[in-house]
Amino acid sequence: MNPLTCTLLAGFTTPMRIDTNAASMLWLLPLVVAIAIVYKATKVGQIRARAFARETALLIGSILVFIAVAALVLYGVAWIVTEQLPAMAGGSAF
Amino acid sequence: MARTGKDNDTLFLGIVGLLAWVVPGGGHFLLNERKRAVVIFVTVILTFVVGLYIGSIGAIDPVSAKPWYVAQLMNSPIVFFLGQISTSGHFPVYGRAGEIGQIYTSIAGLLNLLCIVNAVYTAHLRGLDEARA
Repeated sequence: MNPLTCTLLAGFTTPMRIDTNAASMLWLLPLVVAIAIVYKATKVGQIRARAFARETALLIGSILVFIAVAALVLYGVAWIVTEQLPAMAGGSAF
Repeated sequence: MARTGKDNDTLFLGIVGLLAWVVPGGGHFLLNERKRAVVIFVTVILTFVVGLYIGSIGAIDPVSAKPWYVAQLMNSPIVFFLGQISTSGHFPVYGRAGEIGQIYTSIAGLLNLLCIVNAVYTAHLRGLDEARA
């Protein structure tokens, strides 16, 4: 068998090496693209390349903006709970 | 006993749904929505294959990850056979890659479920239109 084919097939038998860090969040991008493409494929009346690409890009942008806003809100809540509340509690009767 | 139009319609809807499950985009292909079928086929298969490549075949785990497995099964009946292969225990799955692989393959399955429902609904609407005409 061709070495390239062997290498590709072997890739399906062991997991890739992905570290648990902030960069691993980038793996959501291809998933967002796939979700937007399939969703738009079921929604548009007729598939025309240019219009379809524009609508899909819009949806991808909307999803990413929403994720960014949700991340900021969650970060803010976590910051208040872990940094601000203990400081306030420390300054009071405790 | 002669088959009624409603029986034929139900049978056709079943065939569309089954074909859409066996081959992603197959339901739309049967409804002459070729471009839509190709877009769905390429996207769902690519997402599923990328998920398998990231997490290994072990990402399909019918034993200890049943909810994920149900979503993965929506891709195609082939997943059932992949699940049988992965239960042999020869394919390790761990860490972040295992999680991401599981998420990709499951989301691909849920996307195909959306397409199955859409294909059946489109076929149903066309049946109604033909009945009215």
